[in-house]
Amino acid sequence: MALLPTLPTSFVPPSASSAVSAYRSSALSFFAYAILGIVFVLATGVFLYGRLLASELSSKETALREAEAAIDPATVSSFVRLRDRLASGETLLDGHIAFSGFFTSLEKLLPTTVRFSTLHLSVDTAGIPKVEGTGSAKSFNALAAASTAFAQDGRIKDAIFSNIIINEDSSVSFVLSAALDPKLTVFLP
Amino acid sequence: MNNRIPPLIALAVAVGIFFAYVSPTWSGTIAVTKIAIASDDKALAAASEYATQQNELADARNNIDTTDLTRLTTLLPDSVDNVVLILDLNALAARSGLLLSNVDVMKSDAKSANSINTGALPATGVSPVGSIDLSLSAVGTYDAFRAFLTGVEKSARLLDVRDLVVKGSDTGLYVYKMTLRLYWLR
Repeated sequence: MALLPTLPTSFVPPSASSAVSAYRSSALSFFAYAILGIVFVLATGVFLYGRLLASELSSKETALREAEAAIDPATVSSFVRLRDRLASGETLLDGHIAFSGFFTSLEKLLPTTVRFSTLHLSVDTAGIPKVEGTGSAKSFNALAAASTAFAQDGRIKDAIFSNIIINEDSSVSFVLSAALDPKLTVFLP
Repeated sequence: MNNRIPPLIALAVAVGIFFAYVSPTWSGTIAVTKIAIASDDKALAAASEYATQQNELADARNNIDTTDLTRLTTLLPDSVDNVVLILDLNALAARSGLLLSNVDVMKSDAKSANSINTGALPATGVSPVGSIDLSLSAVGTYDAFRAFLTGVEKSARLLDVRDLVVKGSDTGLYVYKMTLRLYWLR
């Protein structure tokens, strides 16, 4: 007669080392499968997150292409040119030279007994207007009056009368060189 | 002993999946995609700002009177167009009673307005404005010259008298030599 397999064949209890071994085996199994589960979850998350990011990138690139297509180079160019025109126009108008103001002042300041035979108005490299001229005065006193008038007005600066020659008829020839106050040549609309 | 093999295989598979897929994907593809998205975000923000500014500029331009814009374009035209200018100067001289002669372009090479130190434009950067000098001679009375000079100074197209020589005579007619600088937007 065969024995039932569930019946113990020995009355000797199992050893402690085999119980510890079984415990370690089950702990290792739990740890290993837990790690595998976590890694599976991580892998799935990374996969889905990657898909999500790829989708987001695709939609953003589409939006960017549409935004780029909406930029009209001609419109941009027109704005740039208008800005340049406004800025440059303002700068050029600020430096616009009008010699009419000088002639108006000269007409008022110069005694009728003094006249110029040549007059040279120019703007030097620093943008300062200057005048050079040759002329004659009826007398030395008339020339002195002109010099005083220039000095008192102050806008015809550093007026130097040179090459002063007193002629036989007591008239005086001279050469004038002076710098002009920019206020004298400023453009007034 | 045989009970430990499956968990060890599971552990090895976990480690393999982590180092073969999770880690490289996270630090590779996903990181690159994140950088690309951040770059696109910046570009989209810039595009949005551009669109806002374009609308503001369009509004500002629309608020400028078209007549003023036309005058501004006349003041600083898009091309040199010195032939038309000479015709205009001729007409102005005729109206003023001045006899104009010998009009010529002094410098054949168009130059930048700020490269010649006019004292008018800033010296920094490349100027969008070009300039050339026109020389002209004229004969006429002082009153005619004053009228012509005033006309030049108030010209709708900006003209700067850079050099002016007046030579007198006993006849009441004077000889004038002028150098005018004209400008245009490149």
